[in-house]
Amino acid sequence: MNYPVWEVPHIGSGWVIGIIAIFHVMISHFAVGGGFYLPLAEQKALREGRRDWLEVLRKHAKFFLILTGVFGAVSGVGIWFAIGLAHPEATSALIHNFVFAWATEWVFFLVELSTIAVYYYSWNRISDELHLKVGWLYAIASIMTLFIINGILTFMLTPGGAWLGVAGSGTEPSKFFQAFFNPTFLPSLFLRTAVCAALAGVWALVTASRLPAEDEKQKALRTEVIRWSSKWVFGAFVAIPFFFIWYLYQVPEQHRVLLTLGASSIGQGMFTQLTRTVVTLVASSVLIAGVVYFLAYRSAESFKFSGAVAVVILALFATASGEYAREMLRKPFVISGYMYSNGVRVNKVTELNSNGYLNSSKWFAGTDTNSVIVKGKTMFLGQCASCHTTDGYRSMKRLLAGRDEQGIMNILKVLHENKDDSPYKKYMPPLVGKEDEIKALAAFLHTLVQSPTQITNQPPLSAAIK
Amino acid sequence: MKPVVEKIYNWLDERIGLNELVEFAKKKTVPEHKHTFWYYWGGISLLFFIIQAFTGALLLIYYRPGTEAYESVRQITYEIQFGWLIRSIHSWAANLMILAVFIHMFSVFFMKAYRRPRELGWLSGIALLGIAMIFGFSGYLLPMDELAYFATKVGLEIPAAPADAVGGLIASALGAVGIKAEWLKTIGTELSSLIRGGVEVNEYTVQRFFTLHVIILPAIFLGILGFHLWLVQKHGNALPPSEEAKPPSERKSVPFFPNFFMRDLAMWLIALNVLILLAAMFPWDLGQPADSLKPAPAGIHPEWYFMSSFQVLKALGTWFPGVTGEILGIVIFTAGLILWILIPFYDNTNQSGLRARRATWFGLFTLAVLVLTTIWGYLALK
Repeated sequence: MNYPVWEVPHIGSGWVIGIIAIFHVMISHFAVGGGFYLPLAEQKALREGRRDWLEVLRKHAKFFLILTGVFGAVSGVGIWFAIGLAHPEATSALIHNFVFAWATEWVFFLVELSTIAVYYYSWNRISDELHLKVGWLYAIASIMTLFIINGILTFMLTPGGAWLGVAGSGTEPSKFFQAFFNPTFLPSLFLRTAVCAALAGVWALVTASRLPAEDEKQKALRTEVIRWSSKWVFGAFVAIPFFFIWYLYQVPEQHRVLLTLGASSIGQGMFTQLTRTVVTLVASSVLIAGVVYFLAYRSAESFKFSGAVAVVILALFATASGEYAREMLRKPFVISGYMYSNGVRVNKVTELNSNGYLNSSKWFAGTDTNSVIVKGKTMFLGQCASCHTTDGYRSMKRLLAGRDEQGIMNILKVLHENKDDSPYKKYMPPLVGKEDEIKALAAFLHTLVQSPTQITNQPPLSAAIK
Repeated sequence: MKPVVEKIYNWLDERIGLNELVEFAKKKTVPEHKHTFWYYWGGISLLFFIIQAFTGALLLIYYRPGTEAYESVRQITYEIQFGWLIRSIHSWAANLMILAVFIHMFSVFFMKAYRRPRELGWLSGIALLGIAMIFGFSGYLLPMDELAYFATKVGLEIPAAPADAVGGLIASALGAVGIKAEWLKTIGTELSSLIRGGVEVNEYTVQRFFTLHVIILPAIFLGILGFHLWLVQKHGNALPPSEEAKPPSERKSVPFFPNFFMRDLAMWLIALNVLILLAAMFPWDLGQPADSLKPAPAGIHPEWYFMSSFQVLKALGTWFPGVTGEILGIVIFTAGLILWILIPFYDNTNQSGLRARRATWFGLFTLAVLVLTTIWGYLALK
């Protein structure tokens, strides 16, 4: 359920979160993986007495500090703003259930920011041993942020029976640990840790590609760093399939079935994009390892910055498809079994159907309901706009093209009744509200698919919600 | 090498002489300079062709030409497990292959890699591009949906009228000297009818295009491709003029195997990733079944690589109504193509003289015309 004032045209609010989140994940996972890459590489250099490696690592630490400490931190805050606007109900549920977890995570985050700054600025100013300890402190703090956020994110897909048993009773935090250490917690933690390692390698290739290669010594060093960084990608590449299968095994059948909807069809409105996204995810993940092997590991001497950028772009494809797939896998919920993807709580459906959606909604109560179209648009903003737009992403215009008002009403009726044999039940929430509200929604949606001449006499849509 | 791998290698080496091949590949070198990136595009084009052959074979398992063409493609797209993916990869790879060949052709042109002794490489490359475009045109009809039907119909009508007009002029000229050649007046119409298998695009056309697409064109293409690849390995990669100007001691090169080969493979994987991303996230859809009784849907247009010629012919038809515009269009394109094909024989020395500069300007002009008229074509559809 969006804030009524936050209507994002064409891309929808989900993609605002998506765009920020995809880049954030690329950086935040690097913040964890790179957090281990740096002290491990430093330890290796100290053990082998390689001062030349330390200089390389210092440069990488600067890049790491700027990318994770600035962009990573800012985009993380951006996600909070975006989810708060796109999903106020779900955000509220997550905050209230995990107050202690969030507080702990912020402490670790603060430690992360402080230690990475100390790590970079204390280079060559404190003893090697102490410097390495700062590096390890950062690594521990960063993996702890992942540990905590992973618990909350996996809770959204698999909150578990214990928590669902008390959901809505006001005593949800009493099942904090059951909710936190939920069925997908461990596989997801291992999977994400492997992704962190892969991204540590990918980003390290960026700095390694910029190393000078003017004499034989520099060339040898550059080759060593490139090959060592590539191995981080290969290691993760071997581990990821096992963790991925473990993760899928833990996903409830109700959600796992969504993965197969697009196996044999690309039919419109059939939620086939999840299968297609997973195809992209698997292909990108496999191919990126091959590209790193041929372009960086086997051709280290000629590995250029452009090659590193190509690898980062491929990693972005994999990250984007992975995050998108993870979000889609939760359909039709935002918190499985508890809250639908449009912010309607499962246990409130009957009440909303009898009392009316608009009267019960804290955002829309008191809306001027004299105009059917205004009422319909209000219903659209409340129950549809978290996944659909009028004319862009999952466009209603496209999905409903060619249908008259009665045809649209028939679809809405199927959504409202939400019977077990409904084709939409697997991935769409039930449409709640009284009959007049649903009719108003049908009337509004019909205006979207009418030709301009047909809607001349309709009130302007901009007046729909104030 | 691991013992098992070594055993297999030795077994194969004894029988097919793997060592000789590896030694040969190690001796081959590839120039290394700031334009080396453009050397990958021939290989990328080849990758897409291999993908086409592979996915084409898979599609053949379910595709049924003739009256069931549409239904079989509908099943592939909406019923058969991952049929949509194979079809989508086939369609996207077709487009990417032609794009890669265009990039390859222009990079060869601007690096002046058509000069002696590589003239035949240039000519065979142009032939491969031409066949690839006919591959595209014939493949476009095979699903037999509305768009495919009308685009093919329009495409086949374009050359008929001017060919008839030119044939008519020749017939009149011959008539003046007492030779009867009335049949020349309908040469274009007859030719179009022969390709269509009748006066209308129908299931016979699909059958003919299918034969062309899966038997005749691949046979010709493979022959020319083999010749083209043999020439490439015989003459090696050409140096661009900026490198040729350097003394040989300042030129750099790397062994083809393993150095360049590894990077080539990486490029293949990147291209493959882009292809899968496009095929999965933007799958090739299927329109309504073709119906000759229905009016053509608005905005019928050919694939992007025919858009330039389509738009120029359309514009000339508007400026010079009747058959004049069409003849003018055909004459311009034929003349342009002949000049393009013959460029190695004009700019034929390794000197950077007037001819070399003119050739470069001609290339830039051609590129600009192709890009601008293609954009114009798409804008005109709106």
